Amino acid sequence: MMAEPVDEPMVIAWIDGELAPEQAARVEQAVAADPALRELAETHRAMRARFASAFGGIADEPVALPSAEIVSFADMRARRMRRLWVPGAIAASLVAGLFIGQVERPKGVADRADALALAPDLARKLDTQLSGEPGPVRVALSFRARDGAYCRSFSATHLDGVACRTATGWTLRYAAPGTAARGDYAQAGNNPALAGAIAAIIAGDPLDAAGERSARDRGWR
Amino acid sequence: MDAFETALIRILPRLRRFAHGLTRDAADADDLTQRAAERALKSRAQWQPGTNFDAWTYRILRNLWIDTARSRQRRDKVIAPAEDAETVGAPGDAEAAAERLFLMRAMDRLPDEQREAVALVMIEGLSYAEAAEVLEVPAGTLTSRLVRGRQALAKMLGGVNDG
Repeated sequence: MMAEPVDEPMVIAWIDGELAPEQAARVEQAVAADPALRELAETHRAMRARFASAFGGIADEPVALPSAEIVSFADMRARRMRRLWVPGAIAASLVAGLFIGQVERPKGVADRADALALAPDLARKLDTQLSGEPGPVRVALSFRARDGAYCRSFSATHLDGVACRTATGWTLRYAAPGTAARGDYAQAGNNPALAGAIAAIIAGDPLDAAGERSARDRGWR
Repeated sequence: MDAFETALIRILPRLRRFAHGLTRDAADADDLTQRAAERALKSRAQWQPGTNFDAWTYRILRNLWIDTARSRQRRDKVIAPAEDAETVGAPGDAEAAAERLFLMRAMDRLPDEQREAVALVMIEGLSYAEAAEVLEVPAGTLTSRLVRGRQALAKMLGGVNDG
């Protein structure tokens, strides 16, 4: 192996970081000692950098999911106009969420009628904030429960959950340690168990933007 | 949004970049990306948790592209510069778009199997093992396609001698 001459494929593999340490060291030495190899290495290194740089910006542009994703109500509304199968897809995705990645997920607080009342700060946010609005609390989804109550799923600093409005205020129907605290926006709402909890509570489809606004204006009654 | 959708949304921008490398056309790339996302959502039951999600989605997009390319006449040139300029959104992007167009034209002259290898490794930054997994070829096959594609590109872009 050691006698194998350093050739162009090896130089390319070295630039790509694909060589084992000893092999990489050998190529590095050969490149340092041989001007022709050095030029070859520079050419390939520059070309890789050129492609990465020319195309790199594309990957910084966000791309929306085409259908089943729940991001904002405006989006959902638009999708529903375009694709009649969306409500079914949403339901399917909520249910499917139960089975994906649940192993490492905390179980959270079970859905019980006598579940916890919500902290006043959080409750105020649920009273007023529309879904998709930024802030320390983010509401992802508003919907009617099977018992007719309005419910909202949310991500707060230390808590992800679903709360439903009862006569006495917002009551927690499901909760799990927060994902938003990690500061990674992409992580927020990444919680299959939460999706499963919603699927167990929801009646029909989530509210659209107009429905949500009108429910808010009526105090979620 | 569940874990699957979060993972998908995270990979979509890179899938779209890969689609640019494959299609060499911004509009085709957007269309291909959306179709790949739809296919991934519909096929989510087929994804095995614990396996490489990114490779799975790249493979979906690449297979869709193969189907598309087979089902229609092969394009013999990339889009004209003027057409591309219209798709550029923010000011200051014109230069970047022109550079990209130039590189896509060079890519256009590669055989398909070299182009996809180059796109996965040089543009997407996948390891050889990951790229081989996406393309479902042995590592040696991936490496030789990649080297031949790189050599051809280097010549086209005027940086390297024949030796």
